[in-house]
Amino acid sequence: MSNGWGVTKFILRRLGFGVLTLLIVSLIIFGATQLLPSDAAQTQLGRNATPASVAKLREELGLNKPKVEQYTSWLTGIVTGDPGKSLVGSKLPVLDGMGDRVINSLFLLALASLVSVPISLWLGAYMARRKAPILSNSMLALASMPEFVLGVVLVIVFSTRLWKVLPAVSAIDIGKGPWTDPKGAILPTITLALGAIPYISRTARASLAEVLQSDYVEMARLKGLHERQVMRRHAFPNALGPVFQVIALNVAYFAAGVIIVETVFNFPGIGGAMSTAVKARDIPTIQFLAMVLAGVYVVTNIAADVATILVTPRLRTRLQ
Amino acid sequence: MVPEGAFSRRRMLAGTGAAAVAAAALAACGSSSGGAEEVSGEATTAPAAEPATAVTEAGAAPVTEAEAAPDTEPAAPAEGGGKILRVGTLGGANDILDGQHIVAKADIMRQQTGWEPLMSFSPEYVPEYTHGIAKDVTANAADDYTITLKDGVKFSDGNLVTADDVIYSMERLLDPDAALFGGSALRPILEKTGLSKVDDSTVNVKLKQAVSNFKEALCAYTFAIVPKGYERYSGDVKNQIGTGPYMLTEFEVGKKSVHVKNPNYWDAGKPWFDEVHIIDFADADAAVNALLADQVDAVADIPAAQVETIEGTDGYAVLNSAGGGWLTMVMAVDQEPFTDPKVRQAMRLIVDRDAMVEQVLAGYGSVANDLYAPLDAAYIGDEVPQRQQDIEAAKALLAEAGKSDLVIDLFAPDDTAGLPEMIQLFAEQAKEAGVTVNAVVLPGSEYWGDEYLKRTFATDYWGTRNFLPQVAAGSLVASSPYPGDHWPPAGSTFEADYNAALAETDDAKRKVITDKMQKELYETGGLIIPFFQNGLDGYNSRLQGMVARPNTLNMDHYGRGFKNLSFAEG
Repeated sequence: MSNGWGVTKFILRRLGFGVLTLLIVSLIIFGATQLLPSDAAQTQLGRNATPASVAKLREELGLNKPKVEQYTSWLTGIVTGDPGKSLVGSKLPVLDGMGDRVINSLFLLALASLVSVPISLWLGAYMARRKAPILSNSMLALASMPEFVLGVVLVIVFSTRLWKVLPAVSAIDIGKGPWTDPKGAILPTITLALGAIPYISRTARASLAEVLQSDYVEMARLKGLHERQVMRRHAFPNALGPVFQVIALNVAYFAAGVIIVETVFNFPGIGGAMSTAVKARDIPTIQFLAMVLAGVYVVTNIAADVATILVTPRLRTRLQ
Repeated sequence: MVPEGAFSRRRMLAGTGAAAVAAAALAACGSSSGGAEEVSGEATTAPAAEPATAVTEAGAAPVTEAEAAPDTEPAAPAEGGGKILRVGTLGGANDILDGQHIVAKADIMRQQTGWEPLMSFSPEYVPEYTHGIAKDVTANAADDYTITLKDGVKFSDGNLVTADDVIYSMERLLDPDAALFGGSALRPILEKTGLSKVDDSTVNVKLKQAVSNFKEALCAYTFAIVPKGYERYSGDVKNQIGTGPYMLTEFEVGKKSVHVKNPNYWDAGKPWFDEVHIIDFADADAAVNALLADQVDAVADIPAAQVETIEGTDGYAVLNSAGGGWLTMVMAVDQEPFTDPKVRQAMRLIVDRDAMVEQVLAGYGSVANDLYAPLDAAYIGDEVPQRQQDIEAAKALLAEAGKSDLVIDLFAPDDTAGLPEMIQLFAEQAKEAGVTVNAVVLPGSEYWGDEYLKRTFATDYWGTRNFLPQVAAGSLVASSPYPGDHWPPAGSTFEADYNAALAETDDAKRKVITDKMQKELYETGGLIIPFFQNGLDGYNSRLQGMVARPNTLNMDHYGRGFKNLSFAEG
């Protein structure tokens, strides 16, 4: 029982830090978009700015209020699920259609994780056992390729130039879920996964390699256990902790990667929304999406920390 | 394949792990890239509203039915799925739909599907009735016009267009709170009390002053006729009623809209497609990929860097048409050293225009002669001698003016593709004449801020409009919204000439006046106009009706709401 309490306390503490992190992030986002660089209203209007239109937009943005009040009312809006209205185009609420986009992006993220995590772990195990320099180096090469290069290469090969077998852009129809366009999800998923696999697999390898040299693995081998059993029973569970950390890092990395991948494949998720909002200088949408992405990052990290604790007896017992 | 600017922008993103950092990075570099590939159309990094603004006021463009219409007889509409045209465009969160207003280029394309003005421009850029819903517009005097509607033109809901709708449409444009684009040109010359219904299909318009080119105003695509009580799209597709070839049935902002054939369309036999799907892209390269993967049939406004890729692929083509917009370097004629016309002349002689077209527009443009309104029938930029780079003459003029070692700052915003490249190239060219030009690129927010239109030497961008409307928009320091060069200088008769031209109803006599005005601008004006940009669109070769000719809107005026486009039968 005391064990459970220790873990609960740990989770609560991590959550507390998470909230604190998000608060700091919110200050940075708000500062960078609304307070610091010249005047947000002027930035939004550009050449079309007239003194009257700037004044009107300043009013809409609440720029005339004290900075602290601007910040607190914005944060209250975010926390209570009312991030306000878009400043551009039809001036629809920021949340309009955002639900679909979040689902689309989560779908993509889940697919990419489902593909990348098992493959990476397998590759990591393989590279840890046999030194496999070629595989290891090609992982390194892959790691140096930015997603959009991968995406463009895949499009050239499978959609436009070599073979026309897969769609170049997503074609999810209005009001339809991402699962209605499975073919359109293939290239974005592969692109995201290829971006993540080198990192996860190399960390898994490092972690496993360390474990494989440990005394208990040596002992298990000396006992005459089959190598597969050594891996599964003794090595893998002990290498899982760091791997969880890397998976978390990569899910967070996906959260940033979707901005690029969704733009390249015109996938209607929050990443694509972010990129058009930035172009349109739609400040409330940018602020909201930046908070969502930061939230994903923080939550994944907490989840990974907790999972690590749970699979590592050494850490678990220390919490008691 | 991948434009240089996108490369660095995305690489920077790829390197950032934390999502929040990525967001900040996007915001930070969103405006820093540029490059010729973006000039041809809307700068992807510029706020979408800006380039489009310039385009909007441009008014409609020349198209005649005879030339634009595909020769094929419309085939019987297919059962079920039907014939669908899929068009890609840069669009996003700022999409709107309004029969009389646009913010970005995607909005023009959608507006074109559903709404039409009273008159339209011919290929010679002369007002005519071909694509308009007026049968006749008679000038009773230079300030008094009678508009008669074509017989039997119906809105998409089946109601006849009446004088009441025309009056409502004009009143809506005149409403200052609605802030519609067409309205800014109309409000100075018309009041609501000037509108009166003669009978169900006739309206009388009494202007506040003589406006001899009022018919040109009626050709502007934003001067469209909407039904009485019409309002901008705000979620209900059923309210989007117009006379155009298509009517809106589905719209998700930032993603896609579906437009279905208007069963009551007045232009017999048109349109050919049963449906038009307009698909938003956040990235122009993705749109081109979609074209080459046959996921869309046409893409408006492609990056210049993609032209060769598309033309080099079997089954695809590029529509490369003159007319787009223009970029300019602006000299304030009432500020030192530009108070001296010799210095202004010297600056214009420093420019290597061919190099500008090559390096700023990647070759997709044409050399200009420091005069605007190239599509206007009264344009004389192609009649007066083409100004060439002449460093010796420039040096001599500067020496005469006592400004041989001139040092001057030249400003450009970082959010409008082409302008930073233009000033940097100009600074290079100026070195040869001993002039030190400091090319200063400012963040857009600062550039367009308080100092905009006040700087001695700056830059700007415009869409193409006719001569007199362009004068009204930028060349009258007392009344224009964007008079960056503070024209005309003291002692000039330019403004009086402008008013005389507006009041002159005789075309030949008016041309005498506008010729004089253009000569004055050519000889002593404050604008350096090195080039006109081309419009670039990519399309699948089976798409017919994409006619390459000078035009102010992409895709040959979007095929007049896509009614002039069809697939080759085969």
